[in-house]
Amino acid sequence: MVQRSFTRTLAAVAAGALALAACGDSSDESSDETVADAGDDNASATTAASGGGDADEEAGEAETLTVWTYYVTGGQIDALEAQNDLFAETHPNVTIEHVQLPFDQLASRLLAGVSTGDGPDIVFDNVVVDFPTLAASGALLDLTPYWDGYADADQFPDSAVWRNDEGIYNVMSYTNLLAMFYNADVLNELGIEPPSTIEELETAMAAVRDAGEVTPLAMSGVASPEGAWLFMPLLLSTGMNYCSLEEPAVEEALSTLGRWVDEEYLPREAATWDQADSWQAFAAGDVAFGLNGNWNLGEVDGLSFEVGTTQYPANGSGDSVVFPGGEGIGVGAFTDNADLAWEYIESAWMSADASLINFQASGQIPTRGDLADAPELTENELVAPFVEAASSTANWPGSENTAAMQNAMGQAVSSVISGSASPADAASRVVSDINSEIEAGGGSC
Amino acid sequence: MSAASTSPSSASLQPVPSRAGRGRRWSALTQAPWGYLVPAVAVLGALSIYPLIQLVRMALSDVGPTTVVGPWEFTGLTNLKDVWNDRLFRESFRATAYFTVVLLIIDLVIGYIAAAMLSSTSSRAASLTLRVMVFVWALPPLVSGSVWKFLLAGNGLVNEILGLVGIGPVDWLSSPDLALLSVSLVAAWASLPFSILIIHGGMLALPRDVLEAAQLDGAGFLKASRFVILPLMKPTLTVLTVLIILYAFRSFDFVYVMTLGGPGTETTTLPYLAYDTAFKTFEFGTAAAIAVISMLVIVVVSIPYVISVRREAAL
Repeated sequence: MVQRSFTRTLAAVAAGALALAACGDSSDESSDETVADAGDDNASATTAASGGGDADEEAGEAETLTVWTYYVTGGQIDALEAQNDLFAETHPNVTIEHVQLPFDQLASRLLAGVSTGDGPDIVFDNVVVDFPTLAASGALLDLTPYWDGYADADQFPDSAVWRNDEGIYNVMSYTNLLAMFYNADVLNELGIEPPSTIEELETAMAAVRDAGEVTPLAMSGVASPEGAWLFMPLLLSTGMNYCSLEEPAVEEALSTLGRWVDEEYLPREAATWDQADSWQAFAAGDVAFGLNGNWNLGEVDGLSFEVGTTQYPANGSGDSVVFPGGEGIGVGAFTDNADLAWEYIESAWMSADASLINFQASGQIPTRGDLADAPELTENELVAPFVEAASSTANWPGSENTAAMQNAMGQAVSSVISGSASPADAASRVVSDINSEIEAGGGSC
Repeated sequence: MSAASTSPSSASLQPVPSRAGRGRRWSALTQAPWGYLVPAVAVLGALSIYPLIQLVRMALSDVGPTTVVGPWEFTGLTNLKDVWNDRLFRESFRATAYFTVVLLIIDLVIGYIAAAMLSSTSSRAASLTLRVMVFVWALPPLVSGSVWKFLLAGNGLVNEILGLVGIGPVDWLSSPDLALLSVSLVAAWASLPFSILIIHGGMLALPRDVLEAAQLDGAGFLKASRFVILPLMKPTLTVLTVLIILYAFRSFDFVYVMTLGGPGTETTTLPYLAYDTAFKTFEFGTAAAIAVISMLVIVVVSIPYVISVRREAAL
């Protein structure tokens, strides 16, 4: 029964599960209706170009495609290189030039390129934060003609296709979700079961703290959207989102964080940790629990201790709910190789082979519906909680000011963890700031 | 008197008589030396004045991610008023002022003492020390900031050493009481060599006979400093003070590397706030307004520097 339930969940990975439902997206309402057929095994391998151009034609002419990412983890970069190799099999004369930019500079570099008519051929952007801005700025090419001609388009849920009123600007071949990693060696030694609720987590963390050997928890609390992303599940569990924040509930959730610091469950320096810092702390073996994303799964094999995963603990009596993440793949508006760029996206990222290569190297979960039953996913216990998380996600706010909203929440989180603001003050301030941003930027959740 | 008849270089610039056209051009240049300024003015205009004009235009307009390209809607002083009334701007202003004060104290006081010590040591030892300091000064802030971030981490070397004597661990970068001080001290550490070099250079230029006379009169380090050295070095120290303030108001790199403006917004200085506003939330008009206000502060502070330079030039 567990297996059947698990399979059903996997089947939902790409469709209903990935209810990204970017606000402002006309596909919001239908996103849950698009159900991937787990039994459908019609996925093409490396796809033929649908957007024009032909692999044989390209073979005779040397071309270069510039790809911008902010990838930093070894797994993501390994995956990208392996997927580039896959593309090279059909496009031997195309050179992929990978440009790594700092996470927080990629969007601004794209915007700067709008004024100079410059930019990459392909870009992997932080779609959940920057989509409204990038799509409206003219930095990305409208992919509607390519998507309409894409043979496998029906394999992807609407929520993996990011559009505004003008067109489609990002597609997602994989999704990233949050869950809880744990040091199984530590938990076994202390006789602790992996927690499924915040209450159980606090009991477990108290036991870890009392044992005095390792730090109970590592999570990002930096004053940026990263800190907000890690914190928001505490509110999402209670049915609250950016567009429906209520000060008492925000204060209570922030108080939980403050209590974790006061009880020495969470180090105060988490106030300046981004997700990479948080992962490094967990990976060093000195932490029992680590809230982080599935893109780190590719590095688990190299750790010196046994790792387990479980869903982000549910807050109160609600379910575990997280925001879906991952990068949106787009084509730069000023590329001279739009057709070839789309071929690259199709072949090296959206195809079934590419998606599996990506998953195996980095742990990033494919959005293709026909991979829901792939043994590579179903037989991996560490992946299961992330896949289950995909079945219970919240909608991102589609406001033009979503970045400012998430930034404000990150600042509140960091303030409370550091002790520079009380939960009450931080909650009052952040609710006011976010409501102002919603009012100014429009959109909904 | 014309420039052509008085300039010593004008003779060597006389045109070849047989080439009348070139001759006229040379003649025009020599008779109007401002012509030589054209390249410098062009470069200055393109790289400094034009961006400044654009910055001010942006500060007076509604510029967001969707309007950064194309015509900007003029909104007058709206952005400046909004920024001035913004809580975060005021906090950032205070953080920048704190940062500046720490830099001034460290760079001037420790810089003076260190320069005095260098001046009294053997030339070989002083030379070696100065070389090491130049190396520290030349380190890119992104590199030295990253190193300090690791050193000051919860399990970093500094806390490890403190732990040996039973202290800590100290939340150097995540405590609201210490984070700004920590970043300020690191920035001061990076700029200290520059201050020492400037002050040391000023000390070397002091008249030896005056210093020897003070010594013969029994003046120790403190008295000599108060009544002889500091008064003589006032122009140098004035210029250095202004440069330190300018440096502090550009305090972005160490904040970016070490704390990203956090915890909360404790280490958000004005330049970091402008960066955050422009490139994280894409409110370019607001960010430009922050930059313009910062620039005005710098202009006010720079006035003594300009006056000082003019006085020295007039001597």
